[in-house]
Amino acid sequence: MASRYDRAITVFSPDGHLFQVEYAQEAVKKGSTAVGIRGTNIVVLGVEKKSVAKLQDERTVRKICALDDHVCMAFAGLTADARVVINKARVECQSHKLTVEDPVTVEYITRFIATLKQKYTQSNGRRPFGISALIVGFDDDGIPRLYQTDPSGTYHAWKANAIGRSAKTVREFLEKNYTEDAIANDNEAIKLAIRALLEVVQSGGKNIELAIIRRNQPLKMFSAKEIELQVNEIEKEKEEAEKKKSKKTT
Amino acid sequence: MAATFFGEVVRTPCRAGTEEEEEEEEGNRETPEDREVRRQLARKREVRLFRRQTKTTLEVSLLEKHPCSKFIIAIGNNAVAFLSSFVMNSGAWEEVGCAKLWNEWCRTTDTAHLSPTEAFCVFYHLKSNPSVFGSCPRKNMQVTILTCRHVTDYKTSESTSSLHTPFLKALKTQNFKEPPFCSLLEQPNIVHDLPAAVLSYCQVWRIPAVLYLCYTDVMKLDLITIEAFKPVLSSKSLKCLVKNIPQSTEILKKLMTTNEIQSNIYT
Repeated sequence: MASRYDRAITVFSPDGHLFQVEYAQEAVKKGSTAVGIRGTNIVVLGVEKKSVAKLQDERTVRKICALDDHVCMAFAGLTADARVVINKARVECQSHKLTVEDPVTVEYITRFIATLKQKYTQSNGRRPFGISALIVGFDDDGIPRLYQTDPSGTYHAWKANAIGRSAKTVREFLEKNYTEDAIANDNEAIKLAIRALLEVVQSGGKNIELAIIRRNQPLKMFSAKEIELQVNEIEKEKEEAEKKKSKKTT
Repeated sequence: MAATFFGEVVRTPCRAGTEEEEEEEEGNRETPEDREVRRQLARKREVRLFRRQTKTTLEVSLLEKHPCSKFIIAIGNNAVAFLSSFVMNSGAWEEVGCAKLWNEWCRTTDTAHLSPTEAFCVFYHLKSNPSVFGSCPRKNMQVTILTCRHVTDYKTSESTSSLHTPFLKALKTQNFKEPPFCSLLEQPNIVHDLPAAVLSYCQVWRIPAVLYLCYTDVMKLDLITIEAFKPVLSSKSLKCLVKNIPQSTEILKKLMTTNEIQSNIYT
């Protein structure tokens, strides 16, 4: 039955499915993991870096992109679809600034992206965008925001979330470990993001990319050394925790 | 017949039964030429067993040459990676033969000379214990099959978003008495292709066999999918073969990095 309703996405299946939208969600799972965390004074985006071919310029393979000075996003899914969505969002950010003389709120730009995605689920001859996005930033009121969008065009605010391959595993880790203590200070929030990624990243800290935005500060991308430092700290903490455990049992 | 927005013609169910029958007959009519071409292609299909990496075919059946007590078959890249890192890494395994095949769906056109690198299946036996391996329907043999399938093929009344992928399901023959290491595959799910063929063969010949099927959402080589097979390491067949699990995990990580396929479509 599914084969009859795959062809035209404007058609519902008898049991109410839009199969193309569901298949687009499968395409998202083919992208590498991205995690977003909303701290008290910081928002963190961590991604699993794709391995780059020898002759490829690493700078052109980016999963975290700035949409404006105070908003950035990470995506998972089809690279080309992401490029189109990001370009449209960037133009919208500037257009908004020029029209109303205020930078966009994180919610506004998320709603713009989600509306764009929804249009493509209800148009003739178009397929949905095969990406999910995590959008983070600070509004003028100084409150940190994290939103997630998916191919169907829905968007929700989250305290912490993950998208892409093994997103469920990361989300479960976050559900267990996202506590008020864990996000108490900026460093702890950064560590939580890295720890969540290390659950699923296949070759450790070398394949992690991290970006943060602090209140009233621009986007900062972590260098490989800075990430390595954090990973080493995390590993030390793990070892200490294990030693304590083994002492307790003996 | 109905037309969609894009101008394509779609078959719709027709209550006038006779109309439908006529249409179907027209579509299926095969000329004698078509039939002859198909017959010629089918004749070219072959499966050959070779001794080791040479071109010499095995005169004696591989099965009779190497009778065994445990037969483990891994189908698909994740299952093969699991077996090669965790099982074949402990102990010295010797390649005893390989199977090569050709049918009309293969991409190579050269039927006469299948190169050694195009082996469809390679057979190994444990040097220290040659009774581990073989493919003969002898008594006291136990068969373990490992394979993967995409989770979208898994039929369940639960919502698919609540499924914790990857997960293992088992299917066993009547003679397999050991309890499996995961829940059994529920109806209406079925097993396909080679694993199904092996399991059916074992059921008919009353060989104790168990299939461990991993449902995953990542069909390419993936560490988490491979690690989902770990519970199988405690089975009777594999327990004695696995020695060094941490080392195996390291080898697996190396295998992953060397085999990573570069694709720019998904990020």
